[in-house]
Amino acid sequence: MLVLALRSIRTRPGRFLATLLSAFLGAALVMAFNSLHDTAGQPGVDDVSTETLTTTASVVGGYGTLLVFFAVASTLTVNVRQRSAELELLRCSGATPGQIKRMVVGEAVVVALVGTVLALGPAVLGGRALLGAFRDSGQVARSVAPAFGPVALLSGIGVTLLASAGAAFLAVRRATRRDVRRGRGRTVLAYGALVAGALSAASTYAFSATDSALMAAPAYGAILLSVGCALLAPRLLGRLLGALPLGGASGWLAVRNLRRRVDELSGILMSLVLFTAISAATVTMQSVESDAVAASGLRKSVEAKNLETLNLTVVGVIAVFVCVMLVNSLYAATTYRGSEFGRQRLAGATPGQVLGTVGVESAVLTVVGVLLGTVAALAGIVPFTMVRTDGTLPGQALGIWLAVCAVAAAVTLGTSLGTARRVLRTPAIGAVAAAV
Amino acid sequence: MLRTPSRRTHDAGPAAEALRLVKVTKTHGSGDGAVTALDGITLSLARGTFTAVMGPSGSGKSTLLQCAAGLDRPDSGIVLVDGTELTGSGEAELTRFRRNRVGFVFQQYNLLDTLTVAQNTVLPLRLAGRRVDRNRAREVLTAVGLGDRLGQLPGRLSGGQRQRVAIARALVTEPRVIFADEPTGALDTRSAREVLRLLQGAVRVHGRTVVMVTHDPVAASYADTVLFLADGRLAGRLPAPTADAVAERLAHLGDDVPAGV
Repeated sequence: MLVLALRSIRTRPGRFLATLLSAFLGAALVMAFNSLHDTAGQPGVDDVSTETLTTTASVVGGYGTLLVFFAVASTLTVNVRQRSAELELLRCSGATPGQIKRMVVGEAVVVALVGTVLALGPAVLGGRALLGAFRDSGQVARSVAPAFGPVALLSGIGVTLLASAGAAFLAVRRATRRDVRRGRGRTVLAYGALVAGALSAASTYAFSATDSALMAAPAYGAILLSVGCALLAPRLLGRLLGALPLGGASGWLAVRNLRRRVDELSGILMSLVLFTAISAATVTMQSVESDAVAASGLRKSVEAKNLETLNLTVVGVIAVFVCVMLVNSLYAATTYRGSEFGRQRLAGATPGQVLGTVGVESAVLTVVGVLLGTVAALAGIVPFTMVRTDGTLPGQALGIWLAVCAVAAAVTLGTSLGTARRVLRTPAIGAVAAAV
Repeated sequence: MLRTPSRRTHDAGPAAEALRLVKVTKTHGSGDGAVTALDGITLSLARGTFTAVMGPSGSGKSTLLQCAAGLDRPDSGIVLVDGTELTGSGEAELTRFRRNRVGFVFQQYNLLDTLTVAQNTVLPLRLAGRRVDRNRAREVLTAVGLGDRLGQLPGRLSGGQRQRVAIARALVTEPRVIFADEPTGALDTRSAREVLRLLQGAVRVHGRTVVMVTHDPVAASYADTVLFLADGRLAGRLPAPTADAVAERLAHLGDDVPAGV
């Protein structure tokens, strides 16, 4: 079955691009941040440098790793769901559920390994760039040399492999079982993530205002709450759809599509909620942190400015990663809908009506994703701000939130419509035949 | 743009000629790999007729159907549906043209999985911005024997039932011509018979025009006339066909169906 797995990757590499991209980016991000641990672990590194490096590696690297885990897992789930027809065909031609499971998980492992190997170079460069930035801002001594060792390697391979193989296993188990009792484990997972997230966010209060790892707890909390919300989002979406007064053929079709596809949509919603929550939370917390540092007057203003820029860059890298994952999952999901669009067109939908349907669907998704993401972000921001300063909600939060919403809406609508437009170039009759 | 030669609008009533093709040519691919699918086809089908198009694989029958239905554009030649010329323009315009004049039935049903039986049936009306009457869906679905399945999803239906939904969907807009591409290709004989009777009924009772591509002589025998196609050209015409006569004629076209079945 592994032979079959390898062959199926070789003959149709295009289908694995989305998972490969997420494994590659995820591994690069995780390894770049975790290589700071390796750098700090070298002999002869002074204490101040070590502290800066390990703090960044554990805080940003820590929640970055968690983020990568969920991002890779959600991309893989979307990928396996889309192949249900192929898996059904294999089942009918005599493959046992065990064989199919081994094939899909095998593919996931191969793709994850290839992604990690490809990510080695960029991760080494990324680690160096991070170190360079720390040296330039004076937080790390000039003499510290970059290193790339076992911590970076193991964390990179471990996270991508575990996320890919785990998600593939769960998804294929759903796909190969005929009469699955829907959503039981999912509900447990969702509430588990919500409870863990709430606990993590609440534990922020246990830290003191000047703790260097203060940001970790609310950031973890926001990520876990995002995951929990995304898993429960389909239900919320279902309720919202009942109340939406959408007119026109496109709106009518969009509401029906969303209602039936709610389960598949949670993967995309996960990316959207994670993006909104993580970007809004980390950027806001970072600016609160910078203000607090500046207010305490501990450092000279130039240094403080340097530090602010550096930290925002680090957080920005994470935000860009989630944004790319969002584009990735939307692209994969929309490309897959070619035959569905083909059937709509054969039933009398103009390309404009198909795009209209996609547009309405994306808009509804954006609203739900941004709403849930905002809730998760607030759950991180409020405790952090309360502990770090005297206020509850920082003044700059609104501006950052608006910017994040604008990016989320632009990316969701832009990617969906752009991809749908490209998919519509295939003649309807060909698009329908391709799926059979 | 769509030219209406006789200045006659769609609602003024159907033309006597439901479908007309003049010297229609279509080539797939280019250079050495080019295959002439249609080689100057000229034909005319009167309103209220049931025509089967037959021929061996690769004879161009599916291409003929797609060109006639406005799903594909011929390289040259003229296609007139219900007296109106179908000219090369954007997909949106072709879609609007098809909506009011053409209905489709495909081998693979092409229903939308996310919509119920009733919603699938009235989808063409909704897309055309026409009034959607719940009773209309019930009426059409009852006519195809699915009046009790309005709220079900296509995934829960048998192949024959799905194809009957597809026929209901094709009939709901009251099109001038219904194109059916191997409508019984994926069905068992009993379901196939039901589907063919429904198509026959659309012609005899409601006066629609049906053009059906098939390679099953039994399916073709339900039609009023069979047109044979070979290498992209018309190769014969058989009125009032029987399955045996069709099979024999096919054998002479060089098909691998044995003679005297």
